[in-house]
Amino acid sequence: MRDVARAVSGTATSVFLAAVLGACASTTTVDEIRLTASPTTLDSTEKVVVIGRRDAGQYETDRNFVACVGKKIHGANVTVVPESEFVDALYPWFEPRTAPKGLAPLKRLMERPTVRNKLSAEHIRYLVMVDGDIQSDGHAGSMSCAVGIGFGGCFGFTTWQKTAFFEAVVWDMQKLTEEARIRVDSEGTSYMIGVIAPIPLLTPVESEACAGMGDQLRSYFTSGAG
Amino acid sequence: MNPSQFLSKTRALWLLLPVALSGCASTASITVNGTFPNPIADPRPIHAAVLFDESFRSFVAVPNDKTTIAMGTAQVDLLTKAFGGLFQRVDVVSSRDELQPDTELVITPSVREVQVSVPNESYLNVYEVWIKYNLDMTTPDGVAIGSWFLPAYGKTPDSMMLSRTNAIHQASIVALRDAGAKLLLDFYRIPQVYGWLQQREGS
Repeated sequence: MRDVARAVSGTATSVFLAAVLGACASTTTVDEIRLTASPTTLDSTEKVVVIGRRDAGQYETDRNFVACVGKKIHGANVTVVPESEFVDALYPWFEPRTAPKGLAPLKRLMERPTVRNKLSAEHIRYLVMVDGDIQSDGHAGSMSCAVGIGFGGCFGFTTWQKTAFFEAVVWDMQKLTEEARIRVDSEGTSYMIGVIAPIPLLTPVESEACAGMGDQLRSYFTSGAG
Repeated sequence: MNPSQFLSKTRALWLLLPVALSGCASTASITVNGTFPNPIADPRPIHAAVLFDESFRSFVAVPNDKTTIAMGTAQVDLLTKAFGGLFQRVDVVSSRDELQPDTELVITPSVREVQVSVPNESYLNVYEVWIKYNLDMTTPDGVAIGSWFLPAYGKTPDSMMLSRTNAIHQASIVALRDAGAKLLLDFYRIPQVYGWLQQREGS
């Protein structure tokens, strides 16, 4: 009888945990728009650079997300130059104050022979500019924490919605054309359960968005490889 | 525990509380180190001298009573490289006595002000640094060409997992890079410099 009760209790705990953890899963959608019909070609010496959009002032795409996308693309067939290495090599043209935010400013920048020659010397064929952010909203519930002499703890339950939206624009640095746009949006619900200690159950929207965008870009750059 | 023991322990805790809380008010002494990249630029055929006096070379900013930023070495490195992207020949000097005979332009940078903003003051999730430079431009004879105000801004991506010292260091480096970028982008757009160039080419 005791064994049966233990088995039922174990099953109930597993079902509860599966339900809670399953609820933290996120939904990710990836869209790719190819703007030219020509296949993507990268020879063995050509490289890709992934940089985040940045503006003078507060705005900056999350550097960790940009680095994560770069790592996802980097592999045997695609060489990705780290963002910081590229920004240093092209100083001061990709600083927040000076970085081109569109194809027209990029074309103007490439009219400078020194910049063009440096990019050619670095074998940069494609530049991927990533823009976007993660937002939290829909906060609900409440949690209270208290600390006393010899006692402390939190009680309550809170939940919130996280949405990540990122867009990557692929520029061909030889032809100076916009080749593709890849959009990814990922959303999920996070929970915080306070039972003595606060237990966070966070939805992995950032890593899901990174995986979605990284895999799609990797497939984009390797689709033309024979 | 009898009531008098309990009261004495409670009093001791109350007395310790301000001491513990004052320990949280940290001060930061930052030395900005690290080298800056050489710029990709088209230097013009001008022989210029950049005059870094001792106060500039050993400059320590005190933006508030909790923060000092020693940025002399870093700003000399940055500006030396940035001016190298503007002029084909640049002499770095400590006084006017060291000027070469064929020097055409003398630039003396100075720091007007350094400001720092931290998350618990600004309620933003970033540390920020503003540096305001002044560039005085003269001929080798000391005749004024102009004076230019050069503001620069730097911030950390966020304040997560950063100590105050580390964060202000990072933001200072971003601000110095921004100063270099603005200098390289805008120097020849300064009306007085443009006028001086026109006069030089005419003579």
